[in-house]
Amino acid sequence: MLPPAAAKTFDELTLGHGVCLEDLIDRDALGEMVKSFYELFNVPLRIFSEEGKLLGDAADQIPLYAFLNSVKAGRAALSDVASKLKTLPLGEDGMASFLCSTGESYRVATIQYDGKRIGRMILGPFLALEVSEPPQTLLTLDSTLDAARLRELFQAMPRAEDDSVVKLVRHLQRTLDLLLFSGHRALLTSNMHLASVRESFRELEDKNEKLQTAFDRLKELDRLKSNFLATVSHELRTPLTSIIGYSEMLVEGLAGEMTGEQREFVQTIRDKGEQLLQLIKGLLDLSKLESGTMSLRKSQTDILTVLRDVAQTMTPTARKKEVDILVEVENGLPLIWADAERLRQVFLNLTENAIKFTPPSGKVTLSARITAIDAARSDDAGGVVILSARRTAVEFRVADTGIGIPEGERGRVFDAFYQVDSSSTREAGGTGLGLSIVRRLIDGHDGSVRIVDNTPKGTVFIVTIPVKRATIG
Amino acid sequence: MQLDFVNRELTIKLVYYGPALSGKTTNLQALHKSAEPGASGRLMTLETKDDRTLFFDLLPLTFRNQGSLAVRLKVFTVPGQVIHASTRRLVVQGADGIAFIADSRSIETQHNTESFMDLRENLKQHGLTLKQMPLIIQFNKRDLPDVRSDAEIAELASKGREPVYLAVATRGIGVVESMIGLLHLTWSALDAEHDLNKKFGFDSKAFLAQVAQKLGSPKPVPEILQACVGGALDVLRPEAG
Repeated sequence: MLPPAAAKTFDELTLGHGVCLEDLIDRDALGEMVKSFYELFNVPLRIFSEEGKLLGDAADQIPLYAFLNSVKAGRAALSDVASKLKTLPLGEDGMASFLCSTGESYRVATIQYDGKRIGRMILGPFLALEVSEPPQTLLTLDSTLDAARLRELFQAMPRAEDDSVVKLVRHLQRTLDLLLFSGHRALLTSNMHLASVRESFRELEDKNEKLQTAFDRLKELDRLKSNFLATVSHELRTPLTSIIGYSEMLVEGLAGEMTGEQREFVQTIRDKGEQLLQLIKGLLDLSKLESGTMSLRKSQTDILTVLRDVAQTMTPTARKKEVDILVEVENGLPLIWADAERLRQVFLNLTENAIKFTPPSGKVTLSARITAIDAARSDDAGGVVILSARRTAVEFRVADTGIGIPEGERGRVFDAFYQVDSSSTREAGGTGLGLSIVRRLIDGHDGSVRIVDNTPKGTVFIVTIPVKRATIG
Repeated sequence: MQLDFVNRELTIKLVYYGPALSGKTTNLQALHKSAEPGASGRLMTLETKDDRTLFFDLLPLTFRNQGSLAVRLKVFTVPGQVIHASTRRLVVQGADGIAFIADSRSIETQHNTESFMDLRENLKQHGLTLKQMPLIIQFNKRDLPDVRSDAEIAELASKGREPVYLAVATRGIGVVESMIGLLHLTWSALDAEHDLNKKFGFDSKAFLAQVAQKLGSPKPVPEILQACVGGALDVLRPEAG
């Protein structure tokens, strides 16, 4: 952020080298003051900046000068006076008086601020009290001018005693000094406001830059971690496939008949190998999702097919635990824009979880119905009127009659490796990866997932996925 | 320092630094009050409603030496409140000398320390060190109860390099002495750097005497300088050269 071009530095403004009359005083207001001064004391007044710019003027109403301006010689004489007054050398006391060839007097005085000349004031023209006749130089200035009229206008000139004019000058200087001081203070205040805001801004920018660097580094570390995880998972799978394959062959008797106990041991090796493979697949998925390298192959997907498939796949597991699986789907549900395989993974995971935590003779219900969601996110602060174009969505529910999830834990169950109660895990199995993958997959579908209580007991996972592609946000 | 060759005018910037409410503005008010008319301009104070300095106070003092070099002293204060950090940094920029006004009360010791560290940090931001900066320390509010004792301050002062002064700024005690001490140090440093005495036929002793006199202190300068209770007044700082 650059300062405005006209802004002066703090040193320029305070150490006294950059202050000028125009900066400190409002020109219109100065003009009004000059006019009011003229009305009060009947002495014309003009104020110039140090560079000779006219800032305030109440001398244009002099009838004699208007009369003289009508002829060439008069104009020349007046302009000569004007230029002399602007450059008249001033005495030690900062003042000088000037008597024109046409008979009028002027008083010129410096305007100082903080020991520096920043302008000059010119009082006049006025006639000294004792002057009674216009000088010959005026009367003979131009023969075409009416002498009687000249005399009349000359007599009508403002009259003042030089002493009183000096007093007026002193008074004006003091008044101006006060105005300049106030102006300077206001200028400094606003300048300091700007400067300190700019300084704070610079500080914040510095801090932001440091934070950004730290953030970039963390992101890079996170990416490295995901890469590492992906590589390791991949490398682990290869030998594991052999372990599972060979133990399967052993169980099937391809290497000769085994005793019951041998078969049981090899079966355990195979089961545990399978479990390990699932865990590694989960890790791989998670790292892909985290690093953003998993691509979803979305197409128009039929919900009923997905849910039925999930129910069928899970039926053996459910039977083993004596848990019923029900699928309840509203008629006429639209196709949704989703990756069918990943959606299946989501509901397999949720259903498997539901069965795992439901005691015998309980039931797990998979249902789907059409609903609408606000395009505006609920945490948005404003603009709901504009943003809340409602979008059609499908709401899935996976409800169980299991042990339930305490309210305080519901936000955290989606974190990777988080377990509500580690003792139940030992009993029920699982890695704590499933739900974090579920949430990331749902995020990838621009959907949401939340948990509510099932009545009278159990948990409902509610997944909402918009029917069409997102066009907002 | 700013030197105007055309008008033969030298402007020196002095800054009164210190924690909030330690009496920086009061020091300037006392100087302004004791200065002869003509030597001092208007004291400009930019204050908030509760009389705390918003940005700074500014006291212009002008002296003309026999060598026809006019010296203008611009004395600034900074706002002491912690939140005005950016303003303090702006005001301290370009300072030729600094008076650190400390509150003598024992309970304020921590605030003094924090403000001093802040000064050091702000100078650092401008590429300066405390060693390079002509600096005096004033222990103000000597008239209040529960202040650190004279002996304690004298003992600490004898160990440090900065001249230390005791003051009651509300009554004008020690104010001019601190100022003369600071000016003495500042002038020595500027002269060492720019050879001002020689170039301008400047008589710095006479100048100090003139300043002291116009600030209403008729005592001879060496006597005024002796008011300092510790530190090194007459050592030219080699780092400044």
